[in-house]
Amino acid sequence: MKKTVFKLSILAAAVLSAGLAAAATPDEIIDNSFYPYKKGFPSHAFVKPGVVINKSNVDQAKDVLDPAMYQVIKNGDYEITVGATTSFDLHKNYVDQTRAGLGKVKLGEKNGEIVGYVAGRAFPEEPDLKDPRAGEKLAWNYKYGINWGDSAMISPFYWKYRKVETGKIETVNKFGFHFLNYKHRVVIPPVPDITPNPSNLFRGIYMKVYEPLDIKDTQLLIHRYDDDLKQDDANLYLGFQRRVRRLATGQVTDSFLGSDLMIEDFEGYNGRVSDMKWTFKGTGTILMAYYNHNDQKQLSTEFKEKDGYQYVEFGGKGGCYPLVTWQLRQVYILESTPTDPNHPISKRIQYMDKQAATLSRTLIYDRKGELWKNFIIGKSHPDHHLPVNKGSGISIDDAFSMVDQQSKHCTTGQFRGEVSKEASPPSMFTVQHMRGAN
Amino acid sequence: MQKHHTFKLKPLAAATGAALMVGFGAGAVRAADNLPDLGSSGGQPWRVDTFYENDTHYRDDTGLSKFRNTVQIEADKDLGGNSTFSSIKFRSKLRGTYDGVYSMNSDKYGKDAGGPIRLENGRPGVDYGPNIGAPPGVPFLQGTAPVAHGSGPINYTNATGLLTGAYMAAGVPAGPAAGLAATNNFADAYPTNPNNGMIVLGKYLHNTNGGVAFGVPQAPCDYDKRGCIKDYMDANSHELASPEFNDRLDFIREAFFVAKMPAGEGRSWNFQLGKQQVVWGRTDLFRVLDVINPVDYSRNNIYDELQDIRIPMWIFTAEYRMGATNTFDDTNIQLVWNFDKFRPNNLGQGGTPNQILGAGDFFRGMKNLWDNGGTVANFAGADPTGGIATNFGAHQIGIRKAHMPEWSLENTQVGIKWEGVYQGTGFSLNALTYRSQLPSLRNLYSKGVTNVNPFTSGGPFVLAPGQTTATYPYNIAFDIYFPRINLVGGSMDMQLDSIKSSLRVETALTKGEEFANTAKPELYSESKVWRYVIGLDRPTFIPFLNENRAFLLSAQLFGQHLLDHEEHRGPWGKYGMPDWEHNHIGTFLIKGWYMNDRVSPQIIMARDFQAHSYVVAPSVEWLYSDNLKLTFGANVKGGDGARSWNDARDGNPFPPYSGAQGGRNPMEQGMVGLTGYEPLGRFRAGPIGMANKEDEVSITVRYKF
Repeated sequence: MKKTVFKLSILAAAVLSAGLAAAATPDEIIDNSFYPYKKGFPSHAFVKPGVVINKSNVDQAKDVLDPAMYQVIKNGDYEITVGATTSFDLHKNYVDQTRAGLGKVKLGEKNGEIVGYVAGRAFPEEPDLKDPRAGEKLAWNYKYGINWGDSAMISPFYWKYRKVETGKIETVNKFGFHFLNYKHRVVIPPVPDITPNPSNLFRGIYMKVYEPLDIKDTQLLIHRYDDDLKQDDANLYLGFQRRVRRLATGQVTDSFLGSDLMIEDFEGYNGRVSDMKWTFKGTGTILMAYYNHNDQKQLSTEFKEKDGYQYVEFGGKGGCYPLVTWQLRQVYILESTPTDPNHPISKRIQYMDKQAATLSRTLIYDRKGELWKNFIIGKSHPDHHLPVNKGSGISIDDAFSMVDQQSKHCTTGQFRGEVSKEASPPSMFTVQHMRGAN
Repeated sequence: MQKHHTFKLKPLAAATGAALMVGFGAGAVRAADNLPDLGSSGGQPWRVDTFYENDTHYRDDTGLSKFRNTVQIEADKDLGGNSTFSSIKFRSKLRGTYDGVYSMNSDKYGKDAGGPIRLENGRPGVDYGPNIGAPPGVPFLQGTAPVAHGSGPINYTNATGLLTGAYMAAGVPAGPAAGLAATNNFADAYPTNPNNGMIVLGKYLHNTNGGVAFGVPQAPCDYDKRGCIKDYMDANSHELASPEFNDRLDFIREAFFVAKMPAGEGRSWNFQLGKQQVVWGRTDLFRVLDVINPVDYSRNNIYDELQDIRIPMWIFTAEYRMGATNTFDDTNIQLVWNFDKFRPNNLGQGGTPNQILGAGDFFRGMKNLWDNGGTVANFAGADPTGGIATNFGAHQIGIRKAHMPEWSLENTQVGIKWEGVYQGTGFSLNALTYRSQLPSLRNLYSKGVTNVNPFTSGGPFVLAPGQTTATYPYNIAFDIYFPRINLVGGSMDMQLDSIKSSLRVETALTKGEEFANTAKPELYSESKVWRYVIGLDRPTFIPFLNENRAFLLSAQLFGQHLLDHEEHRGPWGKYGMPDWEHNHIGTFLIKGWYMNDRVSPQIIMARDFQAHSYVVAPSVEWLYSDNLKLTFGANVKGGDGARSWNDARDGNPFPPYSGAQGGRNPMEQGMVGLTGYEPLGRFRAGPIGMANKEDEVSITVRYKF
């Protein structure tokens, strides 16, 4: 069945791209890329808002489920409640910057090289299956995607390690995550770049552990260079040692603090474009966890916040799955294969949301080519989340689930995400900040 | 004594006695709910974590060596900001411990420790008389089986006979005819230093083997005051069992404020004031730049995490954070002012289970010799086979006192660090002026301090007119000092993508460190020291052990080079500075993780290349839950263990009586290379070799409330 879906998708992509290529005005390119639902939302004979997809009826939805999620539901591990498809419009400035750069951005000779990029979506044109580097272009769209915007924070951010078979929660980690774009900023001043920036950094991620005691005060700082061929810098501060350790490259492809994620998995993919060989496999329409956070019927009451914010609830087998509504989304199917033969995985199959250019569904295969991990990132519409996020034009990461299909273990994440300048100043993204008892 | 290296191995451990402290811990948590707001009307509520830990160690030859119960409370509060500071935070850690080993194993480490001892008296059948100018066959100058403390054949009575000239060789002036009193200051008995409650120095590591040895009192200082050094090594049983509750308020592990003041254009000042740890450097295990806080080796020798054994000091730091500049990705300058009253490293007191380099026993035995006198094995007329046990009297040899620097502005310690990131490479340049945290033994001669000549009642062989006392070059009578040291150094780290590793380098050059040196009449000298550590970390998959999780492989090489090293070869062996001129210690860590990091086995190995010693420390951490962690471990040493070095018996401080060895002119002073394990071999053996017999298994239980 998977093959059938792919064939259909590939055919659809070929037809669509041929059509666009023939009459691709700038407005059409922009509309197709950022407003794909302008002419109407996807429809399906069975998958309609309010429908609950479970193991008894999953076959009726098989054509709009990725193979891993189909199997999860078929096994009775999870039930999906369908919500109405909504448009996740990105911030106007990002769209405007994309428009300004139309036709000016080119791939360089090597994977990881790009020419002419300033800001916005690098390659908004519809990908073409005949283009051998179409996957690479999508990867650039992800790297330079609006993602968390120019500056943002997830804090608190609760990660639970769970046993799938018993539901036993082994540990609860409380994190704070912070994000900062040094370059290609579009909304929060300064735009487009923070200066000075002598090493030409593109993005910083800073993380701190608040709980449990065993790893309390552990901090992680990742610097990604704008030059994609330059290796990321990562530093880890270990609270029990009070020392910053430079991380070797390999440590970003290893389990992060015992979770089912590696640093490279953050946000769907947290690596360089040049670390992977990217292949565009086609387009499709599938169910993904896109929703309005505030409209979810069942939110968690476990962690209390002063302002009454409630986190996403988890359920299903082992408590590994977010209890949120899923909606039909137009996606690009992307396969990425590590360029490093010693990488712990053989490939990822990822479903990139066409409108947001985010990687909300990821299937990770082990070195033997067998499905290893099943990754869900739940995205909330910013206008239906915390008030601070309203109007930000950013699809808010709101919940994640990484299920290790082989070891029957999962890690779940519950976010409190805020698009904020004040919470993530540049001074936070320094090694010295980690040392400074902050 | 100046080895500034150490390495940590995770505390080994695990499972008893948690219930003892549960009530206390829970109470602490409740109390934390009512902590003061520290004047903040805003900010965040207190964040309090409390844990209890029992750390139990069992040692090969002495049995229980640790039964330490710890309650630690970590209380932090963010106080918000004001018109000057954008944020003010308060950080604190309170720690109280009770180590039951002193009561549970009291015959090894408590009030009942030690007993009567016997000391070597040469090799049976060897005649040592000729070595001191006496004719052959003098009965009490013959080597025998070990003698009891207090029964050294060189004593007041026998020495009187020697000094009357009855046995002195021709040409050596002696007795009343030469103007000497027919008396001496050796002892026939030790009413204030009885033969009980002692061990022979080095007992747990080596035999005396013809070298120097003497008795070391073992019981805590409230049970046995002998050998206790005022203000330095004089802990009573309560202070040993619960070291935090002292007059330095060590139960306050940390209590400091952090204030951030914006300085415009993304720059800021960061101030920290209070009792705290300030950590410099980038390497694990070794202290090259990380020397601002002294450390407490009495907790677990060199094997605890540095965070747990650094002794927090009252320190002020001011840091100007410049952030990114046109050249650097990040740069900052930090000024450190350690304004606390000086504190040395805690080396572990004599009679306690953890003494780095066995220093505590050595110091205690030496202090006892000074205060009370005592029998010293193989001393008089010593040659490489041994010598005659000698009953020294008080104030002749040993350690007289420790000069602990008082608080004064000039005794405070100041450092400055420039740190930054350039093209992805982290770096720092550091400078620090501080007091050595390790003791330096300067002999009394070097400071013009007199001591009693054991051979005469009044001074050296020939006294100047009117002179009644004198100083004695090469004499093994010392005061303890903590000299000032100036350090410059730097560090860097970078990623080596080609070998998928990260590289860490740290180096320092110091001036002012003092080392034992038997080639000098002062028995010490200064040397500049260059130290460095090169470390490589590499995550590596070892598929047959774990297909899904990489192991961390971490290798480090520590180098120490004494730039003013001095070493000579005499007829009987080498003498000079016992510390190696060039030495390296290598460490290798392999650490793995299973069950989502809930189980983590590791092995740490270290080898001291010159000392020919090594340690292997396997351990397994088991995180049973977020609140309960068990650690099982072992610590096994191997290699040469004890090493020998010139022991200063041959310096001839009291010519002509103390120096006719090997037939040399009895008026000639200086070493001929007589060696033994004690006291200076410890610097050859290093901290691993000196603990060669301290193999342990351990279990630690930590419970978070």
